[in-house]
Amino acid sequence: MLSSTSGCNGVKMSPSLFNFVDAKDKFTASARHALDGKTSKPLINAFNQFPGNEAEKKTTFDQALRGVLGDQIVKQKANCDEYLSLIYLSIDAVTEGICSATTPFLLLGDVLDCLPLDQCDKIFSFVEKNVSTWKSNSFYTAGKNYLLRMCNDLLRRLSKSQNTVFCGRIQLFLARLFPLSEKSGLNLQSQFNLENITVFNKNEQESTLGQKHTEEKEDGMEVEEGEMGEDDAPAPCSIPIDYNLYRKFWTLQDYFRNPVQCYDKFSWMTFLKFSEETLAVFKSFKLDDMQASKRKLEELRASGEDVYFAKFLTNEKLMDLQLSDSNFRRHILLQYLILFQYLKGQVKFKSSSCVLHDDQSVWIEETSKLVYQLLKEIPPDGNKFAAMVQHILNTEENWNGWKNEGCPSFVKERTVDDKPKRPTRKRQAPEDFLGKGPDSKIFMGNDELTRLWNLNHDNMEACKSDSREFMPSLDEFFTEAIEQADPANMVEDEYKVVRNPNYGWRALRLLSRRSPHFFQPTNQKFKSLADYLDSMVSKLAKELPKDIPSEEIKTGEEDDDDNGDNLLKDSNDSPSIQSKMVSNQQMDDIAAKLGAQWKTLASHLEMKAAEMREIETDSEDVDMQAKLLLVAWQDREGTQANVESLVAALNAAGFSQIADCLNEA
Amino acid sequence: MGPVELLHMSVFSQSFSPCGRFLAAGNSYGEIAVFSLSAALSPDATALSQKPVLTFTAHEGPVFSLLSTDCHLMSAGNGEISCWSWSDLTKKNVKPLWTKRPNYKSSLEIPEINAMVLNTRDNSLVVGGGDNNIHILDLEHGIFKTVLQGHSDYVHCLSLREREAEILSGGEDGAVRMWDSRTGQSVHCVEIYKYESCARPQYGKWISCLTTDSDWMLCGGGPSLSLWHLRSLSPTSIFTLTGCQRQTSFYQDMILAVGEGPSVAHCLLGGEVKAQIPCTPQSLNTLQLNTNSAEHRMLTVGGSSNHIDVFTNLSYRAFSLSF
Repeated sequence: MLSSTSGCNGVKMSPSLFNFVDAKDKFTASARHALDGKTSKPLINAFNQFPGNEAEKKTTFDQALRGVLGDQIVKQKANCDEYLSLIYLSIDAVTEGICSATTPFLLLGDVLDCLPLDQCDKIFSFVEKNVSTWKSNSFYTAGKNYLLRMCNDLLRRLSKSQNTVFCGRIQLFLARLFPLSEKSGLNLQSQFNLENITVFNKNEQESTLGQKHTEEKEDGMEVEEGEMGEDDAPAPCSIPIDYNLYRKFWTLQDYFRNPVQCYDKFSWMTFLKFSEETLAVFKSFKLDDMQASKRKLEELRASGEDVYFAKFLTNEKLMDLQLSDSNFRRHILLQYLILFQYLKGQVKFKSSSCVLHDDQSVWIEETSKLVYQLLKEIPPDGNKFAAMVQHILNTEENWNGWKNEGCPSFVKERTVDDKPKRPTRKRQAPEDFLGKGPDSKIFMGNDELTRLWNLNHDNMEACKSDSREFMPSLDEFFTEAIEQADPANMVEDEYKVVRNPNYGWRALRLLSRRSPHFFQPTNQKFKSLADYLDSMVSKLAKELPKDIPSEEIKTGEEDDDDNGDNLLKDSNDSPSIQSKMVSNQQMDDIAAKLGAQWKTLASHLEMKAAEMREIETDSEDVDMQAKLLLVAWQDREGTQANVESLVAALNAAGFSQIADCLNEA
Repeated sequence: MGPVELLHMSVFSQSFSPCGRFLAAGNSYGEIAVFSLSAALSPDATALSQKPVLTFTAHEGPVFSLLSTDCHLMSAGNGEISCWSWSDLTKKNVKPLWTKRPNYKSSLEIPEINAMVLNTRDNSLVVGGGDNNIHILDLEHGIFKTVLQGHSDYVHCLSLREREAEILSGGEDGAVRMWDSRTGQSVHCVEIYKYESCARPQYGKWISCLTTDSDWMLCGGGPSLSLWHLRSLSPTSIFTLTGCQRQTSFYQDMILAVGEGPSVAHCLLGGEVKAQIPCTPQSLNTLQLNTNSAEHRMLTVGGSSNHIDVFTNLSYRAFSLSF
């Protein structure tokens, strides 16, 4: 070191050139120490002690580590654990800050490149275990591309069919490492694996039955000699083969491989024809659980090349067996559904010429229904399978949409919500605030509503009010009947209203509600409702108030002036006076006499306190108030506001003189 | 043959050659057509291979029955039986070896022959037809040796019970009779329509199809297709198929039946109809299984159409041969 030559007598030396080789050696040595001691302390010490710029030291350190690894690999005596311990060291070093973040990845890459696959397995387990480390902030940005490249290199080395599990592990690791929206893992442009070609026997020369059969000729049958032009008869195989179906069936695979072909008219026609035949076979060839294949399995002849993992076996002899196999059928039908989804779907990367015509769409719709129907019929659990398939394809639509939008990230940004929430008030129910409090008018917000509501707050009471009394009184209803029953009017039987069945029914109802005669037992037998009603009417006529002249029944006496005489007679009879209505004049008189004492009468007239208050507020004059009282009473009683009841009330209240006056009037 | 004739053609009978490579079919015009199965089944078959290699007129009336022996083809039509040699036919030589006629009582009417079976035990041909009788022809000597009388109406179908050397015959009178071939006596007589489980009065009482494998018998027609146990002479399973069944056959553990309706019914021995495979003709008359050749193993059905459907896999129609 240059600095040492200038003497180490404690004088601060000027910054000298960084001696790379020296540094590297020092670090290499310390790394070896660290490995032996299984601690990273020597590394840290060496790093700190060595003079120089951080960046330079770091890069040197990287080199040093890589060199150590290289030596280890070259030696070939080291086993995986040693490599791993070195890599652990490097991770620690990164944490300490003495080496750059990409170093562990570079080391890993080196190791994996130089080791055979079985050892790679162990190294990869290490990688898998430390996913959390790789995902941590210090490592992630630096290392993800390296990791991706490393994994892809590994995948390229591995065979999908031989090392399926390892490939799967690598894929899973990548899935965990990268977020969902990582575009490098996506088939962004919805491309198809065009190399997945299904090989099958397209014509006789390429028969996969093998060559040796053609040499055999049948002997012994004399029919053979005269064969009618079949000199080039195909090699006899042990079961008859439906070549027609065979060829059409496997041609379909080409369309599934490359769906874009379907947009071309000519190919589409072929696809259509072949599909219809195949699906017709599926339709007539129903599978059931009981149908076990009775034929022995013929010797399987593979198509000659390596059997790649997920390819169909297309030997002609297998055709029958395959048709009887429910899993095989499910494969094919599922292929149809996937194809249809692609053809119908909106994919951003489809070229503009890839549009379906109307009749194509119609055919696709119909065939999809048929395919689902066939799927449901395949045992076991056809219905469940069909439902699952539909669900999965629906999910695919979501992913397709996501890709079309450019793969937005699934991580939602937390929205900043600083507004403090107001405490919510519980809204009061209307009955809580309507109707409470003094008789203030309740405003419903609308004039009409307010008016209606304030008519009466309480619905029950409103229904019970007298204005809702619709049942007619006996005299009202039977007026006409009584009039007709009067022989003086000479109404003929057939025109009598009691003969009307409607009237009769209503009469019965009314009688049952209002008249006690209805319930009195009678020995009289009535031939018809009309007769019964006649008798009732006559009974009623006798009872009803006689001040109404037409209600009178005269039994036999016919007189034109009778009505008038009756009037006179009535007015002279004392009972009739009592059923008279109280006239205005009478009320005035009584009011004048009552004066301020009207309140005592009010209680006997069954006036409510509210009404009394109202009367008081309405007028100052006591006479007026008394008059108002009587008016109110009359309003309330209506037809019952007759002299009789008023007299009774007056007597009860102690105003017998006034009562007498009334009586005399 | 114009298109109208083709439209009205019905195929009544079929028979496979002893080598199994040819199919002979008889139609309603009295013609027999020979199809080459190896050509039709080959990988590069064209529409032409589905046409007959030879067609010739065999009888005046329809060819109701065809039968193949080791080297001969017997055809029966309007009251006469003709014998052809298969080797001649493959060479397109259409001269019959012989033609015989059973002794009919009345010479005014010539009854048709509906069914023929071959009794290999004593090398005799059993024919049944419109004269209500069953005639047995000794093939060695060429003479009709026995007449089995008993049916009151014409005989539709015949079958042979190998083990007991019995002949079963079903007829228009609704009776299935069992005859001892040696003595010529009627051993049993079962009237199917009298059994409530089988009877279908709306279709009548006639028996149009009969087949047996010594222990069991399948018979159908007016009454429903039913499986009978011959020892106890009682029906064990009834198959609910619409229409009358015109031919049935045992196949492995299944029963194949054809009749009115454009489908071949696959039924299980228990009485369940497992499948009905659609085919071209609207109603079917004849059903044959080619058991003579393994490579050309197939099922063929013919009926009221000039097409004969071929099933290489029993569950779907592969292609059709046509007249």
